[in-house]
Amino acid sequence: MGACQAEPAESSAYRPAEGGPDSGGVAGASVPAGQRAMKRAMNVNPLPWGVAQIHFDHGGTDREPMLAARGLVKRYGDRRALDGFDLSVVPGEIVGLVGHNGAGKTTFVEVVTGLIRPDAGQVCVGGVDVRREPRAARRLLGVAPQELALYVSATVRDNLRLFAALAGLRGAARHRAVDRVAEELQLTGVLGQLTGLLSGGQRRRTQAAAALVADVPLLLLDEPTAGADPQTRAALLEAVRARAARGAAVLYTTHYLPELADLGATLAVARRGRIIARGTQAALTKGLPGELRLRLATAPSLPDLPAALAGRSRVVDGELRIASAEPPADLAALLAAGCAPVSVDVRRPDLDDLYRSLAVEAPDAA
Amino acid sequence: MLPDAACRTGAVIRHNTMLLLREPGPLASRLIMPLAFIALLHPLYQAAEGHAAGASQAVIATLVTFSLLALSIVGGSILVERVWHTWERVRQTPLRPAELLTGKAVPVLVALLAQQALIVGFGVAVLGMGVAGPALLALAVLAWSLTLLSLGAAIGVLARSFSELSVIYDIGGMLLSSLGGALVPLSALPGWVRHVAPASPGYWAVSALKAALSGNGPGTLRASAVLAGFALACGLVAAARVGRGAARSASL
Repeated sequence: MGACQAEPAESSAYRPAEGGPDSGGVAGASVPAGQRAMKRAMNVNPLPWGVAQIHFDHGGTDREPMLAARGLVKRYGDRRALDGFDLSVVPGEIVGLVGHNGAGKTTFVEVVTGLIRPDAGQVCVGGVDVRREPRAARRLLGVAPQELALYVSATVRDNLRLFAALAGLRGAARHRAVDRVAEELQLTGVLGQLTGLLSGGQRRRTQAAAALVADVPLLLLDEPTAGADPQTRAALLEAVRARAARGAAVLYTTHYLPELADLGATLAVARRGRIIARGTQAALTKGLPGELRLRLATAPSLPDLPAALAGRSRVVDGELRIASAEPPADLAALLAAGCAPVSVDVRRPDLDDLYRSLAVEAPDAA
Repeated sequence: MLPDAACRTGAVIRHNTMLLLREPGPLASRLIMPLAFIALLHPLYQAAEGHAAGASQAVIATLVTFSLLALSIVGGSILVERVWHTWERVRQTPLRPAELLTGKAVPVLVALLAQQALIVGFGVAVLGMGVAGPALLALAVLAWSLTLLSLGAAIGVLARSFSELSVIYDIGGMLLSSLGGALVPLSALPGWVRHVAPASPGYWAVSALKAALSGNGPGTLRASAVLAGFALACGLVAAARVGRGAARSASL
């Protein structure tokens, strides 16, 4: 396994919030990005099963990745939680890491943070090999784990002060960083409250604030909005966008595609421990069928539908659902066949549609 | 300016002190209960062993028994972090395992020393206990407190739940203090207990404290050295568990 190459600092596009030692930026955090060779190599990703479409697209950028993982393998007994996991994130980029439960998303985050060691492969943060120098890599990270990880018998301010201190912030800079992130995530009014007494949404925001309190060049946010209310979600997304606009690289795992669209994120689709597709949401979902959902005046009967539609149709709870890449044409065909819908809903392609289109498993791949 | 490691350790110490003081019930009970225990039972010990020896035995019995029970504060402070998932979270920061354990240990060490100072002070002021070697006594108390810290830390990273922790402390604590000859002098216990007693750190605590009270330097040093060995072994177990990332989430 080769070491990550340390390159000159000017290659980094990361910019701390306000500049200067009191900005909340962590000393030494403006670290160079990693290896060009690694990034080039990561654009090849052989798969053991049939895949309809693969994009590996960094938007044409030549920036060095702030996070670069190649060939990661992590086994638990016979199970491979990571199985050749390749992924890179460049400064300023938000990558939405999506995939079903068990796809390897959280395992990957834990490998990047050094919480677990991979059995094979390499992961570099800002040019620092996580396996060789985990603490140096962690100085560059802001992490919001999937599970709430807060001191419930401490106040929000106490929690944020601790994580700011552990990130290297001291004295007045630490206080300012806590106040700033609290304001950003609408926590100023609850800074003095015990975390255990907060609402679920406030706890989620506190958890994210602990990740964002120091201006670090790489954010790992593992389902940060799980169970969050719309206000919490909006505040979090705004804060993440602001960090990316300042040059931070963001890895954001979620099950909600609309959230990633709001963030302007590119997608990395994980399945069975590896990335099976990478690219913009528009590119990955282009041409995928969505679904026409119709309520009819009478109970729907599949045999009565036009033959071209019947094979793509099903009835769920009295609702006629038709997989459709061209909803207007299919709707016109239905109307021409004499169907009388009382309501029509067009659902855009979602993650499930994406997974189905990307991963057509070979029988022996299961 | 302080090095980063000192700043991080200081931050963890401050944080854990705050957590300890925010829920003072367990701490207060560990400070008050020994005084009630010694006040009620010292006549029994003095009736059995005479005024001076009885006072010493009452103080040692209380000190060892209740400091073993105070293990729950050490282990609980670690286990609760695993239940809250904060243990994993802080390990995702630049904090080293040694810094983390030190940050957890220092506030509890202060609490343990305060507990033992209270008990010894009560013995001297109220029971008229004589201390022939104050410096030796300080050494013995420090060695015992470090042993308790390490033992508590090892149990805290090994226990999988609070109920498991509770069982370990309730049964283990009483066994260690009984086997060590703290509650009842070894001379009054069955012969087989005297044979297995040296396996208990409580035995060496009693030996160190008795030797220190009587001004026996070599005896105090020998017993304190054995306690330091226990402390080192348990500390290494705890650090290895934390360093390998084995002590992860736990249940209530």
